Amino acid sequence: MRKKIVSIATGLAIALGMLSGCGSAGDNAGSANASGESHLNFGCYVYSTSFDPAAYQNASWQGMRWGITETLFRFNDDSTISPWLSDSYEVSEDHKTWTFHIRDGVKFSNGKPCDAQAVADSLNRLFEVCNSTEYSSTPRQYVDMASIEADQEANTVTVMTNTAYADLRGPLCFPFYTIIDVEGDLTDAEHPGGYTTSVIGTGPYVLDSFDELSKSGELVKNENYWNGEVPYDSVTMMFIEDDTTKAMAIESGDIELTENITTISDLQKLESDDAFYVSKKSGVRVGFALVNFAGILGNDVLRQAVFMAIDGQTLCDVTVGGMYNYGPGILPDTLAYDSEKLVNPYGYDQEAAIRLLDENGIIDKDGDGIRELNGENIVLEFDTYKNRCLSDFAEGIQSQLAAVGIGCNVNVLDSDTLWMEMQEGDYDLSNSNWITVGTGDPEAFLLNWYGDSGENFFTEDNTDATNYCRYDNEEYNKLYEQFKASLDEEERKDLVVQMEQVLIDDCAVLVHGYYNSTMISNKAKVSGAEIPAFDYYWLTTDIKPAE
Amino acid sequence: MKKKQNIFLKNKKFTVYLILAFGIILTAVFAPQIATHDPGEAILTEALKAPGNGHLFGTDKLGRDLFSRVIYGTRASLPATFALVGSIFLIGSAIGIVAGYFGGWLDAVIMRIADMMVAFPGMVLALAVAGILGPSITNAVIAVGLVSWPKYARMARSLVLKIKYEDYVEAAKVTGSKTRHILIRYMMPSVLPTLVITASTDIGGTMLELAGLSFLGFGARPPVPEWGLMLSEGRSYMQNAPWIMIFPGLAILIVVMVFNLLGDSLRDVLDPKEEE
Repeated sequence: MRKKIVSIATGLAIALGMLSGCGSAGDNAGSANASGESHLNFGCYVYSTSFDPAAYQNASWQGMRWGITETLFRFNDDSTISPWLSDSYEVSEDHKTWTFHIRDGVKFSNGKPCDAQAVADSLNRLFEVCNSTEYSSTPRQYVDMASIEADQEANTVTVMTNTAYADLRGPLCFPFYTIIDVEGDLTDAEHPGGYTTSVIGTGPYVLDSFDELSKSGELVKNENYWNGEVPYDSVTMMFIEDDTTKAMAIESGDIELTENITTISDLQKLESDDAFYVSKKSGVRVGFALVNFAGILGNDVLRQAVFMAIDGQTLCDVTVGGMYNYGPGILPDTLAYDSEKLVNPYGYDQEAAIRLLDENGIIDKDGDGIRELNGENIVLEFDTYKNRCLSDFAEGIQSQLAAVGIGCNVNVLDSDTLWMEMQEGDYDLSNSNWITVGTGDPEAFLLNWYGDSGENFFTEDNTDATNYCRYDNEEYNKLYEQFKASLDEEERKDLVVQMEQVLIDDCAVLVHGYYNSTMISNKAKVSGAEIPAFDYYWLTTDIKPAE
Repeated sequence: MKKKQNIFLKNKKFTVYLILAFGIILTAVFAPQIATHDPGEAILTEALKAPGNGHLFGTDKLGRDLFSRVIYGTRASLPATFALVGSIFLIGSAIGIVAGYFGGWLDAVIMRIADMMVAFPGMVLALAVAGILGPSITNAVIAVGLVSWPKYARMARSLVLKIKYEDYVEAAKVTGSKTRHILIRYMMPSVLPTLVITASTDIGGTMLELAGLSFLGFGARPPVPEWGLMLSEGRSYMQNAPWIMIFPGLAILIVVMVFNLLGDSLRDVLDPKEEE
């Protein structure tokens, strides 16, 4: 017996020792190390082990988020566009020939000039290598490029496109089109496999090392940076997958900066703590559930009742603790698309939902608490995944549907399986958090509801299509075609509002709300850490050591 | 009757644990009477309320009463655990007895399959099976069952091998007893006590494994009030609303402990060697 007690006590002591060990590591972290150089520890999610913009989308984003690469133009928070590597531009009458002047004096981090030729080479190489299946980025998705030519004397790059663009600067802000030093090698002949971790950009920081196993990297100051002083001599980008771990790491001082903590309780705790600054912004992302029109929700009455049964406001404010702002339109209300003009006839009204179902004979005949349609219990399959509170929405909605007698299975999947089931149409509701105006306007995003008599339905023989929900509305299709053809800013905006209204009237998409991105910093050590509305940019020169 | 009373009086520990175990089973049976709320009723505006104010254990992220959910949790965990232990006990022992008694190629085939199953780390294989079948309590039971039966089969086989050549078995064969009769009349009784003890001590561990699968998202699916799943749901609120984890965790701790102690004391009762 005594032996037992001793062994239990030893076990407890070891366990306690291990636990206490977790909290005491952060003493050497801080804004200045022994040699007086400034250092930042940034705990973040790492989506990619490559930084080559041609490799795949997440890789292109990562180069920009880490402050390594830059594009010709950049988005401001209100989705207007500022010059970046290009300081001016001209456009032809037909909106197909665009001439960009490259800012004078810009250098790559290796000291070589980033002139018109270097920019043209970088873009040409991107389009060239992405024709091969080895590279997964899809630069043609946003820019239907015909040719890119440099004029060294004028330091301009001329981009010719096959289709007219209202404003090509928007698509060029997308991280695919970051400018890297390719040394004139347009086919990667001398760089087999691309520039995985050897990307040379024009950003304030340079990738010094990257550990694939821990997915963490070290950045150092770009001594040749063109746009002012770089605030940190070195930055450690630490991969932290779990939100609670991020919160605990910044509390303990292991890191001074982190992004997007989405567990509400952790975020609220940091918000209420004076030692930390939480920058929160409703950006360009929307959380929503696709409604499968080929399934049981193709029934108009049922769909309307489902929409009325869901209290979107409470889900946003309470269930996900304000991580989302509620609104019925598919585009965030912070964007300039006149969301106040939208009218939602199917807002939350539980009693009306019950009445509507009762009046239309969708009732529970067998007394099991679930209504039947065509003799079968209504049980919706709701696909979701654990990301940005999406599964919390799904569970909240499940409970609200139960209250009006509609069954719902919540399937928490991994993102790949969710995507697969979405493509196969194997769902009733499937929620995601997508960027709406990734290239400055919602053309690509709104294509998801463009039906064109089934032409744009994602089926096995039409795998290029993007309409995963089989929604097909003639009015919407017409508006979308008009929108696509129009080059007039005001008209385009007006058409977007009309399209949004059609989607609302049809209960075509179940909008959860507009996602708030966050960036959290330790006030005593870091200043200027604001999350931009476009989350292409994380580490900027605005983030500085606190005075 | 008198003899029975003696057993309970003589083994006080066993009696106490047995009463506790019955208490847990009764909780499951009378859950609707004990629970103060409907465990599925979500009032979103009442989310994350601390214990007290009409909610004995507080509420979870969807505003559901945690006390009622923990009570109803017995209904998810106990039947699944009993069904699982019961079925691997029956199937495993039957396979083991058959393998041991008949020997030859049948024994070789069965035991090689069992060896294969044992060669895998149990939980990993269970995760793989549950992953393939899809998440549900039934599938979790199947997954854990698939990796747990060899233990019973191997034990039953070795016990059968021990007595297979005893004189009384030979005598039964000589006097013309049918194989089925020998299996049921002679083999079964000699393997049962050991296997029953094993099964009863396995209840706790099995319950933990099932809860573990649910915690990882391979078992119960929301909104089923299952303790492992509730722990998983509460994980992200650990700092601000710890009660969401504490109470389901306590429930698992208590139930697993009671059944483990019951199994241990049952061994004391059935194994005369330990008697003083």
